[in-house]
Amino acid sequence: MDQKPAEYLTQSVVELCRFTRSNGLSGGLHRSLAALRAVKAVGTSDRESLRFALRAALCSSKAEWDLFDELFKAFEEQSQHTSKPGSGKQKTIVEGSGQRETPSQYLIGHDAGDEPEPEGKTAAGASVRERLVTVDFSHIPQNDLLRLEELSLRLLRQMSLRLSRRLESGHRPGPIDLRRTIRRNLAHGGEPIVLAFRNKKPQKNRLLIFLDVSGSMNAYSVFLLKFAYALQKHFRHVDTFLFSTSLVEISDALRARRLSDALVKLSQLAAGWSAGTKIGASLRELNRLHSRKLQAGSTIFMILSDGWDTGAPEVLAAELKAIHRRVRRVIWLNPLLGLADYEPVTRGMSAALPYIDVFAPAHNLVSLLALEKQL
Amino acid sequence: MDLKRDRDATSPGSAGRQPFKDVDALAQGFERLNYVADRALATAVFLAVQLRKPLLIEGHAGLGKTEVAKVLASLLETALIRLQCYEGLDVNSAVYEWNYQKQLLAIKIEEKSDLTVEEKERHIFSKEFLLERPLLQSILGEAASPVLLIDEIDRADEAFEAFLLELLSDFQITVPEMGTIKARHIPYVILTSNRTRELSDALKRRCFYHWIDYPSLEKEIKIVSTRLPGMEADLRSDVVRFVHAVRQLDLGKPPGVSETLDSGQAVMSLGKHRLDEEIIEVTLGCLVKSMEDGQKIRDAGIGKLLGNTE
Repeated sequence: MDQKPAEYLTQSVVELCRFTRSNGLSGGLHRSLAALRAVKAVGTSDRESLRFALRAALCSSKAEWDLFDELFKAFEEQSQHTSKPGSGKQKTIVEGSGQRETPSQYLIGHDAGDEPEPEGKTAAGASVRERLVTVDFSHIPQNDLLRLEELSLRLLRQMSLRLSRRLESGHRPGPIDLRRTIRRNLAHGGEPIVLAFRNKKPQKNRLLIFLDVSGSMNAYSVFLLKFAYALQKHFRHVDTFLFSTSLVEISDALRARRLSDALVKLSQLAAGWSAGTKIGASLRELNRLHSRKLQAGSTIFMILSDGWDTGAPEVLAAELKAIHRRVRRVIWLNPLLGLADYEPVTRGMSAALPYIDVFAPAHNLVSLLALEKQL
Repeated sequence: MDLKRDRDATSPGSAGRQPFKDVDALAQGFERLNYVADRALATAVFLAVQLRKPLLIEGHAGLGKTEVAKVLASLLETALIRLQCYEGLDVNSAVYEWNYQKQLLAIKIEEKSDLTVEEKERHIFSKEFLLERPLLQSILGEAASPVLLIDEIDRADEAFEAFLLELLSDFQITVPEMGTIKARHIPYVILTSNRTRELSDALKRRCFYHWIDYPSLEKEIKIVSTRLPGMEADLRSDVVRFVHAVRQLDLGKPPGVSETLDSGQAVMSLGKHRLDEEIIEVTLGCLVKSMEDGQKIRDAGIGKLLGNTE
């Protein structure tokens, strides 16, 4: 690299940036420029420094940091294979991702997991293949909808307002906002006649809904999906995920203006309906790929599941613990809790219990209405 | 009175004298000040200094994230300005605040003067009445670029993070009553985060990134020998090996390097030459900070952990 002129260096840095970007690192032109400047600053004589410099410039989280070393290695190997650098490289990688040979390519496959595209994953236990059924939702009776809307309106009042510690100017008596008071009273010669106060600034919470659509939840999932849709309207921000053996984000589909539109959209996403359940693995995927959606302090995390988990309960406990640490509240709604003699003794459920703030039934509207008291 | 400070800031790269020749020079400087920095960290800091771009350091507690800024400041022989973030941190306590009492007095005093309202207003919103908080201080430095440490940025809320963006990309701060204040000397910015929450992409994009991990055995022994020079080599290696064995356990809060140093200091001041079960038991509080973690270590068997280290 170093015996070639600067132009070639620039080209290969840009190539590397494009390579890392197409393999899971975030960032855009801004990052590439930073990388170029970084390379110029440290020079190319020492390969290790060069790698460290590129890593500092191109990464922005621990996950990316870990990924980078592998990507860098893969990129080097590739550069040795292809004598002439060019856009052809890009292509090889895309093709390679289907075969999953090198570790970096394996990671590519993994990162694509949040796309709705179904993948034939071989997972031990639950279901060997997700059943790629496209369910037609548009036949759902609309009569429950009104009450659901009403309910979510009430839930809104309880849940989505949070008094943050940040203060803003207001009219109710409270701590005096000296800044505004002085401004307002300049006209009175500085005599503080009109007082301005600082009041707490209400801040809406974010909600993350994690909905189980596995076989054991069949009877409830459509109903709960409607509940999720209704909640969507009244929070600052709602992210919704479906899971069975893997994870599918449906926030965008649910944001349709009418429920029926949303359901039609959803029916086009194959999400492993009625497949087996791997709550732990799905939570891990959530933690790994979507952790930025779990904002500390302002997110309410709501799981809708019966807790029949075929994965290892330790995984479920560890992942839920990590989530519990970050979010404001973990709510687990379990439809089975409505059964008179139900005890949360399934391995998964008992492993999860220590990290749940609110554990409530969710088998009908009445149970959801009762939830409001606890929020 | 000159209200605006629109003088051109030193543009990156053209700052005449670059403080470090290369990465090695910086690494040696750190070592001189008793901070053992690996090459990756030295490179990241070097880039941040050279290109005047903020450096975001993430990692577990007690691994010397904050220390990086302190050492950098004393190495550059410049001021360290520290902003500790917390939930509810707002512009008034991070950037600037008006001295209201003084303003009220000034209004009173000027009551009888012939100044027009505009003149009065301009006077009481002048620099004389401005209380500089850390962020504003950092760009007002007269002599040289200070090191600005924004500690535990993950504790502040998103709104504050968004506010930081203006400062970190343009190194300027807007005070509505006075106008935009540009940095005379661009500060060296170090941000640290414990990863209790994800930072916004916009912020991360503006920074170089470094992840501090638990050090390797050799590196940690080196750190202990630099920081606790009076410690005997055998004892030093005992302590570090034991800490490494403890980190293998699934603890709620694994001990960082600062815990290693604490515990080494404790064992040393008890006058021991080698580590044994008894001494570990009495100094366990230096290493782990919760009852559950202490119990986990006892369950795993202190003797066994010690034995594994041989």
